[in-house]
Amino acid sequence: MHDIERRAFMKGAGLGALAFTVGGAEVLLTPGEARARSVPFRLLKENEAETIEALGETLVPGARAAGVAHFVDQQLSVPPGEALLEARILNVKPPFVNFYRAAMAAIDRASMAQHGGRRFAQLSTSEQHAFVGLMRQNKIDGWQGPPGGFIYFVMRHDAVDVVYGTIEGYESLGIPYMAHIVPEKRW
Amino acid sequence: MATHEKVDVAIVGAGASGSTYAAVLAKAGKKVVVIEEGPDWQLTDLISSDIWGRRIKPAGAPFLLEGKNPFGYAYQAGWGVGGAALHHFANFPRLLPLDFKIKSEHGRALDWPINYSDVAPYYDKVAADIGMSGDAKAEEIWRPTGAPYPMPPMKTFRHGEVWLKGFAANGIRMVPNPVAMNSTEYKGRAACIYDGWCHIGCPIGALANPPATYLGEARKAGAEVRALSTVTRVLTNAQGSKVTGVEYFDEKGERQVQQTSVVVLAAFAAHNPRIMLNSATDKHPKGLANASGLLGKYLMCHFASGTNALFDEDVQNHMGTTGNQFMSYDRMGKTSHNGAFGSSLIFCGSALKTSGLGGFANARLDLYGPELHAFMKRAARGFSRIGAFGEELPNIENRIELAGDKDRFGMPLGRIIHSYDQDAVALWNANFEEGLKIARATDAKEIWSARGNMPTIHLMGGTIMGTAAGNSVTNSYGQTHELPNLYVAGPGLFPTSGAVNPTYTIFALSLRGAEQLAANWSTVAG
Repeated sequence: MHDIERRAFMKGAGLGALAFTVGGAEVLLTPGEARARSVPFRLLKENEAETIEALGETLVPGARAAGVAHFVDQQLSVPPGEALLEARILNVKPPFVNFYRAAMAAIDRASMAQHGGRRFAQLSTSEQHAFVGLMRQNKIDGWQGPPGGFIYFVMRHDAVDVVYGTIEGYESLGIPYMAHIVPEKRW
Repeated sequence: MATHEKVDVAIVGAGASGSTYAAVLAKAGKKVVVIEEGPDWQLTDLISSDIWGRRIKPAGAPFLLEGKNPFGYAYQAGWGVGGAALHHFANFPRLLPLDFKIKSEHGRALDWPINYSDVAPYYDKVAADIGMSGDAKAEEIWRPTGAPYPMPPMKTFRHGEVWLKGFAANGIRMVPNPVAMNSTEYKGRAACIYDGWCHIGCPIGALANPPATYLGEARKAGAEVRALSTVTRVLTNAQGSKVTGVEYFDEKGERQVQQTSVVVLAAFAAHNPRIMLNSATDKHPKGLANASGLLGKYLMCHFASGTNALFDEDVQNHMGTTGNQFMSYDRMGKTSHNGAFGSSLIFCGSALKTSGLGGFANARLDLYGPELHAFMKRAARGFSRIGAFGEELPNIENRIELAGDKDRFGMPLGRIIHSYDQDAVALWNANFEEGLKIARATDAKEIWSARGNMPTIHLMGGTIMGTAAGNSVTNSYGQTHELPNLYVAGPGLFPTSGAVNPTYTIFALSLRGAEQLAANWSTVAG
């Protein structure tokens, strides 16, 4: 059998559909669909989600629409052993929500101190870009919280995941996704 | 608490080494129970996605990661059947004769208690058992002859081939990389289709991960696997002369005791010493098999020096396998680089994905925003990289200890303390310099070193083998010097780390140990 014929694109692979709660029922949506339908966040507060969206969009254009905040929120709501966040691989200690809460608070605290009381999401695009450039290098004076460079590293992975880690993301870069075949037998 | 009927062997961990022991002993007619901390993954769980693939790695280490170069636990370890070998890249170079006698030949580090010739027959047996592709003849410019690999080399792709002129210009001979993958169908398992998803578990069985090979054989021979069960202690008799069982906590968190004639500790290299330290009794106050005080000592990692390049052609970097296409032993000599000491393994041609730690989005970590997107567009077409693993020498300060904090079962967390010394840093730098020289001799349009924090790859040592109880934890088979029916398996046995991916040697040493155990069963278990 030809190699290409043996491949079958697995619907939903890449990032795919996750379980979101809509009207009391669990439905399978992509994070981008969840955002478009304004699905309520499970754990994140509105201002935390807003900061994640703004930071994600600054790191990787398209992350906001791809639902980076809904992705992170949904993953924070499941047991750590089921979580797909790169934070897991980077040895962040569960529950992962503690890290994200501390990280977003640190960003907003520093932003407000530097920009006349404005939170990170309220900065202009160029201000956000400059802020992240300093945060990445741990060069923001008076920083309190997880190291800025590590926050950059973790959140950059999340934003890359939702923009470039999906089948649609591969397509946007012109890369064949090439999921493996679904095995008919276990071994 | 429940006490289970006595079995012949309790194996802790269903990774590469535990699966090998389970297969050999179950086929020898022994009643085998494999106790595994993580889930009982099926091949159908292995979704082709870097994101979903994170499920087969741990979430939350039972270790405090300390030292100047803290160990990158979660990326290296496994969680569930297959262990770390469920997500390994199946690069199967072997240690060379010079790796076994560094102390004798250079007056530093440690000697192994065995030679290459003791392990070589097991390298060949493993290759035949689980399937390997490569060109043994080509490798024999560097090593003694052995059996040919059962399958021809894998296909190669442009993103590996573009580097060959750079290696040749620097006098580095590259040969097909030996891999535990099927270039053709093998023993009823499918041939590889070169989709590059090896690193999150191969669902078609073309890559020789344990569930598709030894663990599958063990189950067919009657071995039982108890998943989601965490071993906390090895139990000993009142005299402290033999082990009698293991204590573990099941999926519901209930304490269980499995009585057994023999225990094989085949968990991740960091877990075995943690369990042995936690098993201390009045007869073994420093932990089991620790008269030497070396239990948990001499941890070692590999460090990679990567060189990145952008080529002005479509190199199809998504094609192939996560395993490499080509490799070279030309820098395996311990003094290959002036001013540095230790072996280096050179490789190229690993297939690339976009996201995750190994994804090419990380090739320019300084970029974000529109600049990152522009890079991603270029890299999708023309990015490729090479690398060299360097050897970390054994240092007694790199170690595992028990911490004061405890996990949910009341077991003390471990502290993994790891720092690289100047030898390691010098070798890391030398390999970066050579990488740039190689890259300059290619047609690449941009080249740069992949420098960042010094990486900690693989984990070896902690339960090293040696000639006697005074200088080691086990003998060359993994049998502890002090408790004859307690075996340790895996890379923890390595007295030195070499520079090659450890899994092939793990399988070979495990096969050697398991066959010795089976052949001496009545003496060991009686």
